[in-house]
This record gives sequence, structure tokens and C-alpha cells, in this order.
Amino acid sequence: MSSAFAIEAKGLFKSFDGKEAVSGIDIAVPTGTIYGILGPNGAGKTTTIRMLLGIIEPDRGARTLLGHERPLEAAREVGYLPEERGLYPSMHCREAIAFMGALRGLPLDVGRKRADILLQQNGLGDYTHKPIKSLSKGMAQTIQLFGTIVHQPKLIVLDEPFSGLDAINQGRLEQMIRDEAASGTTVIFSTHVIHHAERLCERIAIIAGGQVRFEGEVATARDRLRPQVRLRTRAADGPWRAALPAGAALRDGLWQFELPGTGVEPLVKALVDGGAGIEELAIERPGLHDAFVQIAGEAAARQIEEDRRADLEAAA
Amino acid sequence: MRSIWEASLVIARRDFWATVKARSFIFFMITPLLVVGFAILTAVVQSSNRDEGPKVAIVTDAETRDALIEARARLVAGTDEREFPRLERVDPAQDVRSQARALIGDDESDLSAVFSGTLDRPVLSGPERIDNAFVGKRMTLIIEEAQRNRVLAGAAPGSQPAAVERDVTAGAAGNLREVRTGVARFGQFIVFFMTLLLATMLLSNLIEEKSNKVIEVLAASVPLDAIFFGKLLAMLGVSLIGIALWGGMAALAAAFSVQLMPAGFELPDISPAIGWPIYVLLLAVYFTTNYMILGSLFLGIGGQATSVREMQNLNMPVTFLQMGFFVLALTVVGGNLGLWQWAAFIIPFSSPMAMIAEAGQSATLWPHLLAIPWQAFWVFLLIRISAAMFRKTVLKSGGEIRIMPRFGRKTQS
Repeated sequence: MSSAFAIEAKGLFKSFDGKEAVSGIDIAVPTGTIYGILGPNGAGKTTTIRMLLGIIEPDRGARTLLGHERPLEAAREVGYLPEERGLYPSMHCREAIAFMGALRGLPLDVGRKRADILLQQNGLGDYTHKPIKSLSKGMAQTIQLFGTIVHQPKLIVLDEPFSGLDAINQGRLEQMIRDEAASGTTVIFSTHVIHHAERLCERIAIIAGGQVRFEGEVATARDRLRPQVRLRTRAADGPWRAALPAGAALRDGLWQFELPGTGVEPLVKALVDGGAGIEELAIERPGLHDAFVQIAGEAAARQIEEDRRADLEAAA
Repeated sequence: MRSIWEASLVIARRDFWATVKARSFIFFMITPLLVVGFAILTAVVQSSNRDEGPKVAIVTDAETRDALIEARARLVAGTDEREFPRLERVDPAQDVRSQARALIGDDESDLSAVFSGTLDRPVLSGPERIDNAFVGKRMTLIIEEAQRNRVLAGAAPGSQPAAVERDVTAGAAGNLREVRTGVARFGQFIVFFMTLLLATMLLSNLIEEKSNKVIEVLAASVPLDAIFFGKLLAMLGVSLIGIALWGGMAALAAAFSVQLMPAGFELPDISPAIGWPIYVLLLAVYFTTNYMILGSLFLGIGGQATSVREMQNLNMPVTFLQMGFFVLALTVVGGNLGLWQWAAFIIPFSSPMAMIAEAGQSATLWPHLLAIPWQAFWVFLLIRISAAMFRKTVLKSGGEIRIMPRFGRKTQS
């Protein structure tokens, strides 16, 4: 396994009480990229992350973390924000950040100085000596995020980092992820919100039912689907109808179908020559959501949408 | 490069300050003091109500005996009964000097000294320490009063009264074996009681990390062994602070109590077979090993509990478990070396309490040089087992359970 990848996993299996949680996970996270693990709740994202970090051992399979077969050997260079946030309630913000750095080998005095800088830079200087228990959930999550990066790790692993955050904090987090990646840090995060992965990630793994259904660049996932055509015509019928592919469907006066393999120009020519009277013609590249539906299936897509709604309600 | 030790210190530092800075810590610190204070108060009240003082046997002829008893009565008339030692008549045997020594060494007697001889040649048998203490000084007053009275009555020439001859004995009232048995039991009780008071707290020590989900952050950052060891170190530190405070207060209270004691009070002559300096050192070492052994066991058991209710349910069986091992350790005090005694020395959960008793009874040092590494090994083993069980059952991690470490490898690079 080469150092071109911050994380490599091959054939990871894990069962809990006889029930398989993940079965044969293969992923490779290139160094210096933002990588997303996308899937509905219960798909196996957290189990995969916990195995990658060595919190739990896989039943089968192998993984390396920054070149180390035993993940704890790389702990100093890794930052981790778990799905279930955990901070000591009585600790002050500054101490909590420094403590998390100390767990990763950062001297406490250096950690305290960096904590002060992080809090000041993000407009949270007033919270330096406030106990965690006095903070809102979103604020506490931000403090934990600072603790995740205070030791300036080479790899940051975030499990559902956007969960429970309001729109402002989500935007702040997105910017932080971009900043970290711009400085050469590898960032991997799990999410059930497709647009976060779409906006941030260069590569993704789509997980459903404990298996990786797709692993590669976001663009590659979208390219699995043909562009979608939306067409409105003046003529209801005529020779132009022969230009439409077999799967074309008329909804609310709008034809929708995949762009034929022959391309745009032959389609437009056939419609014009066939007397369609084009009123509206739009060709759209499929989004990651469409790719997700196609890759993971309708059921997974429905569930991920429900998860997103539940998340919004929780944040509200 | 980073070792488990460094990681443990990070955990220990956090836990230690979290405990010490908590408001409830003040209650933890003062509660035992209140108990001790109450016990001292009770003891002082009881001692002030006590009519009995130290006792001196008079092994002499009837004339001398009566003269001494009358002299004491005259002296007491001007003051208080307890200001002078009680006198007990004993008929003299053939060899009075040997009789006096036998009386003073008798386990059943409560004598502080023995008077023999006559007023012309008075002899006081007893340990050296009575010379400048209550018994020695007051007996000299009684003898001198009797001598003066005899001169005034014309029964003796008015020359310089004879000085008291001292027959110094090794001890008084109770033999060495009993004293050492007492010291052995005292050491055992201290180790047991302090561990009972402090180690049970470790049962609930992981509940904070589990309920606040911090365990996930810790487990991803440092080896579980370091988490367990760090927690043990932290609570040991907290315990030692408590012990230092309580010990200091107890010493002050003891010193103060001696001042409050009635005039007849004599400090008992007690010392462990191995000597006080080594005994105190061993007391600290065996408390530490006992605390670490039982603490790592309790930490492991408590780590398996999923709720505070479960934790509460575990408290009583764990306390009984400790008492069971204490009873086993008690078998080594004063008894011969048999199967139970060997078991008490070898079983790690009773070994520290058994060994501190041994230090009270025997001056041999080498058994301690074997016992301490043996107990330390069990601390290591129990931490490994507890951490492995926690990983397996709480974190639901599969893979092998490795009790022995991979020697020569660091935890982090």
C-alpha cells in the first residue's frame, strides 16, 4: 500500500451479534483530498470509520491509516470528530480543546495557546473560560471540532459533522473543511446529506446495506447517468415524436428523457425537421442525488431524504 | 514517539483535576475527618470518665508496704486519686527480683512497674521510659514521702533518704508478640479500610466517559490500557491527597489528645518487627498495590455496567468481595503458616493485606521483595484484562484479545 493514500481499506467485514454491519468495504482515500462517505443512517458509515481508526477491530480485512497497519500508531497525526459528540461538561472550552490535543501528543501549553487562537479567529474568544455545559449544542460541537484540529493533523476524520448544525454553522464548517484541505490536510467525512458531499468532495464512497456501491470521483458518479432533457413543444404530435427515445415521459406538458447517445445536435435537427415547434429545451447534467438514486436504489434514496429531514428538524 | 505511560498521564491529569476541583471533593475530604473527630471525642470523654490509672505492684514486707500505701493516701488527700498510680499488694516470693520481672512481663497483668526492696533500699522494676514519665516520678514521690514520714516518726535516722534503685526491664504489661500482633492487625485494617473507602469509587469511574460519549474520542486517541491506567493513577493521587490530609489531621489530633489525656496516661510501647521506617514505607507500598489491584478489578467490572442502576447493584457484592479477602488476610496474624496463610499471601486480592501483617510480625525483608513485584504484575494483568473486556463487550470490537503486549513496539509514531 502506497503513501499516495491516507487511508486504504480492503475487504473489511464486521458483524454485531451475528448481524453483518458491513460486508467487504473497499475504499482508498488519496492524500490531500476531501473524501465523502455517503449513505443513509444504518448503512455502515460509522462502523467503517471506527474500523479505519482502530476503535473497533474488523472481523476480516485489512486497513492502513497514514501507512500504519495499527491505526493507533498514527493517532498523533489524526483528528477525529465522532458522530456522538463527547466532551467533559465541566471542562472549560480552552481546556477541552487543549486536552483533546494532549490526547494526540500536543503539549498542554501549546494546546492552550492554539485554543486561544482558534477561539479568537472564530469570534468565540468570550467563551475561552466558559464550561462546556453552558454552551449550546452547536457551540459545543464547534469546540469539539477545534479539539479535532488543534494538533494540526495530517488526516481529519469527521463522522456526520453537519448533523445538528444550523445553516450558519454548516457554512462555517464547510469553509473550515476547505481551508484544511487547502493546507494539504486529508479530510474524510461521512454524511447522509448529498449536497454536502457534492459541494465539498473530490471523491466519494456511496455505502448502502453495508457495502460500497460506488467509490471514485464525484464527476464519475454523475457521469454514470446520461444528461436529462426537458422539452416543451407547440405540436402535440407529428413526425418529431420519432426522435424521442423509448423511455421519454410526458409530465405536465413537459417531455423528460435521457439525452440519446447520438448527442444534442441530431436530436435538435430531428425535432425541428419533424415540426415539433420547440418552446423550451433544457439539457441538464445529472446531480449527485440522481447518481445516488441510480447507484444505491430508490429505497436508500428515500431513507437518506428522511434522514435529512430528521436532521433539519433536530437542528431547528 | 509516545508511550502508554505518557498517554496515561494525560488521562490521569484530567481525571485528577476534575475530581479535586469538583465541589463535592470537599465532602469527600471532610467526611472521614468527621468520623475520626467523633471517635477522638468519644475516646477523650471515656478517658476523662475513667477512674483507673496506672498500677504498680508492691512486692515487699508488710511494714514497707503499709508505709507506701499510707504515704500515697496522704499525697492523694491533697490532690486527686488519679494523680498517683494505684498500688497493688503482692506477697514476696523467694527471689523477689525475678518475681518482679515475671510480674511485669505477664500478659495478663496491667502493671506499669513493680516496687521491691525496702525504704532503705527501694527498687523499682519497669521499662526505661517510666523514669521521666508519670509512674516513675510519682512513685519516687510516694517513696520519698514514706521515707520522710518514717524519719519524722523517729523510726529511722534523719540522714539522706535512700535513692530509688532502678531495675530496667524490656517492657511492661504484655509481651512483644501481642504488641506485634496488634501492629499487624492495625496495618491490615488501615490498608483494608482505606481501600474500601477509596477503591470502590473506581466502579463508577468510566460512567462519565460512557454517558458523555467521550470514550469514543479517548479510544480513538490512546490505547485503552492507558485510559484504564490513567484513571487508576488519578484516583490513587486523589486518595493519597486524602490520606495525607487525614493522616496529618490524625497525627495532630493524636498529639493534641495526648495533652488532653489524664495525668496517668502512658503511651504504649509498640513497634513493628520490621521497624517503623520500613513499616511505614511498606504500608504506603501495600496500600498502593492493594488499591491498584482492587481498583483495576473494579474499573473493569464498572466498565461493563451500562447504567448507574447497574453500578449501584454492583456496589454491595464488590464490598463483600473486599471483606472476604480481608478475612482471608486476617488468617496470617498470629497463626502458623498453613494452607490459608499461603493462600492469603499468594492470592493477589489479599496479598497486600497479608504482607503488611507480615511486616508487623517478622523482621525478614526478602518476602516483601518477592511480594511487591508479584502484586505489580497482577496490576498490569488486571488492567490488560479489563481493557480487553471493555473493548470486546462495550466497544463491541472483534479481533483477538491480547493480554500480553507486543514488546518493543511503541503505541504511536
